[in-house]
Formats: sequence, C-alpha cells, structure tokens
Amino acid sequence: MKRILIIDDVTDRAAWLKASLELAGFDVVGLLVWEQVDEHSIQAALADVIIVDANAPGRDTLEQISLMSTTLEKPVVVLSAQKDQRSIEEAMRAGVSAYVAHTVQGEDLSAIIHVAAARFAEHKKLRDELKEAKSQLSERKLVDRAKAILMEDHGYSEAESYKRMRSLAMNKGKRIAEIAEAIIMAKELSA
Amino acid sequence: MAQAKKYSAADHLVAGHFVSGSDAPELKEVKVGFIPLTDCASVVIASLMKFDEKYGIKIIPCKQPSWAAVRDKVVSGELHAAQALYGLVYGVHLGIGGLKEDMAVLMTINNNGQGISLASQLKKKGVTDGPSLAKLIKTQPGEYTFAHTFPTGTHAMWLYYWLASYGIDPISEIKTITVPPSKMVANAGFGGMHGFCVGEPWNARGIYDNVSFSVASSQDIWPDHPEKVLGATAEFVEQNPNTARALVMAMLDAAKFIDTQGNRAKVAELIASPDYIDAPVEVIAERFMGNYEDGLGKTWHDPNHMKFFNDGKLPFPYLSDGMWFLTQFKRWGLLKEDPDYLAVAKQINRIELYRQAASQLNVAVPADEMRSSRLMDGTVWDGKDPVGYAARFEVYA
Repeated sequence: MKRILIIDDVTDRAAWLKASLELAGFDVVGLLVWEQVDEHSIQAALADVIIVDANAPGRDTLEQISLMSTTLEKPVVVLSAQKDQRSIEEAMRAGVSAYVAHTVQGEDLSAIIHVAAARFAEHKKLRDELKEAKSQLSERKLVDRAKAILMEDHGYSEAESYKRMRSLAMNKGKRIAEIAEAIIMAKELSA
Repeated sequence: MAQAKKYSAADHLVAGHFVSGSDAPELKEVKVGFIPLTDCASVVIASLMKFDEKYGIKIIPCKQPSWAAVRDKVVSGELHAAQALYGLVYGVHLGIGGLKEDMAVLMTINNNGQGISLASQLKKKGVTDGPSLAKLIKTQPGEYTFAHTFPTGTHAMWLYYWLASYGIDPISEIKTITVPPSKMVANAGFGGMHGFCVGEPWNARGIYDNVSFSVASSQDIWPDHPEKVLGATAEFVEQNPNTARALVMAMLDAAKFIDTQGNRAKVAELIASPDYIDAPVEVIAERFMGNYEDGLGKTWHDPNHMKFFNDGKLPFPYLSDGMWFLTQFKRWGLLKEDPDYLAVAKQINRIELYRQAASQLNVAVPADEMRSSRLMDGTVWDGKDPVGYAARFEVYA
C-alpha cells in the first residue's frame, strides 16, 4: 500500500484529498503546511509519494531537500488547476512530477499515483544506470593512467602493463580498477 | 553602422534557414513566465510598451510562484518561454535533480543586481562582512542556515562562491535551504536563518524591514555577471523559430528602453505594481538606479548596478557564461564528471538566432563568443580551460 504525504496550505483541500485517497485505499501518513517542510519533517513522514500543489511557492524548498539528500528521493505528484490534458501528459512523460487537475476523483488519483510511482522508479533506474556507466568510465581512466605509469617507470609495453595488472587482480581477488588505483597511489607517494 | 536588413523569402531560400520561406511568427500569443523580481522588467516592459506588437506577436506575461513551476511549465509547454535562472536552464538540460529536457537560452536578460544579506541578529555577534562571518563560523561551531532560491540556480552559485572565498565550505560547514524570493525577507525575520542570497528588490526590502543587512552585491562577486536568461525548450525553438526571434527582438527593444537612464524611474513604477513585483516602488527604485546602502550606515553609487542592455554588449548569449555554471556544478558535486563544457553550451545557447534578431535591430554583436572576467578572488574566467578552472578551487565538494 502506498503511503502518502500531502503538503498543502489550503487545509480544506488537503482534508478533501485525504478523504478521497483513504476511500481509494491509500494510507495518508501526513498532512503538512509549507512552513513545516524541512528535511526532518519529510524524513519523519516515511511516505512513498508526496502530493503538492503546482502553484505553491514552497515547491523550490522541496527541490533542494530532495537534491541535497538522496535518501529523500520521492515521487512528487503535482496537482494543478490546469486541466489541459496535453500538458499533463507532457509533464508525465518528462519525468518525476505528474501534473494532475484538482478536480479529479479519488479513483483517478489512485491511478495517477501508481503511474507517478512507476515513472519515478523507472527514472531512478535510468539514473542509477547512468551513474554505473559513469563509474565504469572513470575506472577505465584509472586503468589507462596506471598503464601509463607502468610503461614509463618499468618500460613495459601497453599490452604487458595490462596483462600484469590483470594477473595481479586475479591473484589478489580484486578488481582491476582497484589494482590501478593502488599503482597510482604508490606513484603519488613516491612523487 | 550595419544597414538594417529585413529578411525576405529569397534570403531564406538562399540561406536555407527557413523551410517556410516566411519570417512571420508561427504563434500570435506568446506566454512568457516571470518571477516577481526586479529583473523581470524586460518581460513586463516588452509587453506594456507594446514592443512585441512591432514584431507580430503578443507577449502574455505569466507570473509564477516558484522556479520549479517555471521549469515544469516551460517543459510541459504550458509556458512558451520564461525569465529563468541561468543555471536552472543548464540543470534541466543535463537532468540535474530530475526533470531532463533539451533546453535553449535565447539571450541574456540581465547582469548584476542580486545580493547577499545577513540576518540582523548577527550584528550583535560582531559580524559585518565575510571575514567576520568566517571567524564566527570557525570559532563558534553550530548550525548556520543560509538560503538561496533554487538548487541549480544563480543565487546558490553566488552564495557558495562568496562563502568559499572566505574559506567557508557551503556544503559541509553550513546548512543551505531554498526559499522563494518573495518569502525570503519574511523567513529571515523568523530567526532561523543566518543569511540569504536573492535578487533585488529583496535585499533592499530586508534593510527596509530591519530584518537584514547587505554584505555583498552579486556584482562585487563578479562584475557584470550573467544572471537571468530568456529560456525555452529546444523543441519550442525548433517548431517556432520565427516566434522565438520575434520574442528576442521585443526583449532587446525592452532592454534598450530600460537601460536608457531617463526611463528607469518610470520602469520602476510600472514593475512595482501588484500584477508584477508587488513591492513599494521606493524599495525597487534605489538599487535599480544604482543607489546602494548596506543597512550598516554606508551608502554609495554602484556603476555596475542591474543592467539589461549595456550598449548591446549584454544580451549576447556568451558560451563562456553558460560554461561557468557547469564548472560550478562540477565544483559543488551536482555533476560528478566533467561534461563536454563547450559542446553543452553550444547546444543550449542559440547564438545564430540571436544574431538574426540583433542584426535586424542594428544591435552590434560581439566578435568573440567567449568573454573574459575577473571574479572577487582574482581568478580569471575566459572559457578556455573549463576542466582546469573547475578543479582549481581550494574549497569544493
């Protein structure tokens, strides 16, 4: 069951939303007004999804909190008075936030939250893959650098340098990037 | 002086730029987002003075409650373009913090006119400037909270740069929060905040309300620094090149109008209205005209006050300006790896479109797509070695 946090200064709207969501079977774990929003209150709510009003000035506060603390990455469903279907779809396509018209019914909301949570998971997966790809890239750079050190200091050929690192990695049960890092560190120590 | 040149259908065929063979704007109404800040002036003036109509469009200025809303609405197409923080456009293009979309910078809207303020309570602790603030933070450890306006925004970067220049690590030694510009002074008044970086008129407003005092203007950090840009999605520009060009032309007319000193008082009055900034005109006008006070008793005239045109040198979307924000993203860990600085800036900054707009208005275009600047700590930024520049700072994340 998705746990939901609602942030809204319009308290009667928040109460209406809470009631609709509970009818649809969701667990509303918190109602906050923007003045209460900080890292601690977001963390403490233990929510899976956050629902906010698109036009709340406090939205930038949430941006900073989620960017600075990766443990607080949450899908944010943005409610908008705007009812233009195209803009809703465009926003959904674009990523984490989901635009939803205020007038939607409880059942529609549940579908939207499912979509938002799924999109978020997909987006996070893409981002994790990107991070992984980048770290592989930097590992390749480490290996290249270590190879250059071995070639310069010991006169090995490039292939020979790589072979030596690889066999050491296999013997020690380490990754070749770790061996490369050790070579670079040793070089820095002696420099 | 170059001859004013009207694009004709024949030119387009020869140049191969426009398949339509016409430079008529694709859209009649252009929704342009803005945030209540002094530097929204050119959006407002382009509309109020009807510069937009000269080029066949009607600008609808749309007031926005937050930078997140500006971003989402530009990306979703609900807004066609917007006054935007330079770094925000670059952040969205790279997908920092979530939403990723190919973006475009059509022109620089303004230089200068932001500032860093400290809460009045710090005066009692002997803090009046950067060095005394650094001394307090180093000798009396505790939770120090500073606010800016958006994680990838210009104010975050000015604040971090200024603090780091005094040896204060903005990531590990203090806590940073984000507060919407119009709420900054009210929040500083609650006592939980030690300082903030925001655009005018809100630093002036802090002094007016006895809540804060000024320790630096953004032009003290970097004279004539890039600040807001006219931002749109790449898709919008591709689908509506004539509208985008017409919009730049109207904004250039507005920028020229605002930088004509005799018009400034009138402009301040127009933008002060509840429809736009919604602040007393006297709070806006003084710093807008270059008349500064710091709230500690010092007053001065700053020739590097907020500018929009500066004889046509300013609005050009210099590649080095955009690249600088990327170097700071790298410095502060928002980017883990060095991007291809020049390639990203070339993708985003639409120099060719700007050149077309400027040439029709006889606005001179600088020969070099980079410019050289000296920042407060003496470092020179000219765009030539972004990887080296990003790695040269002693304080970094």
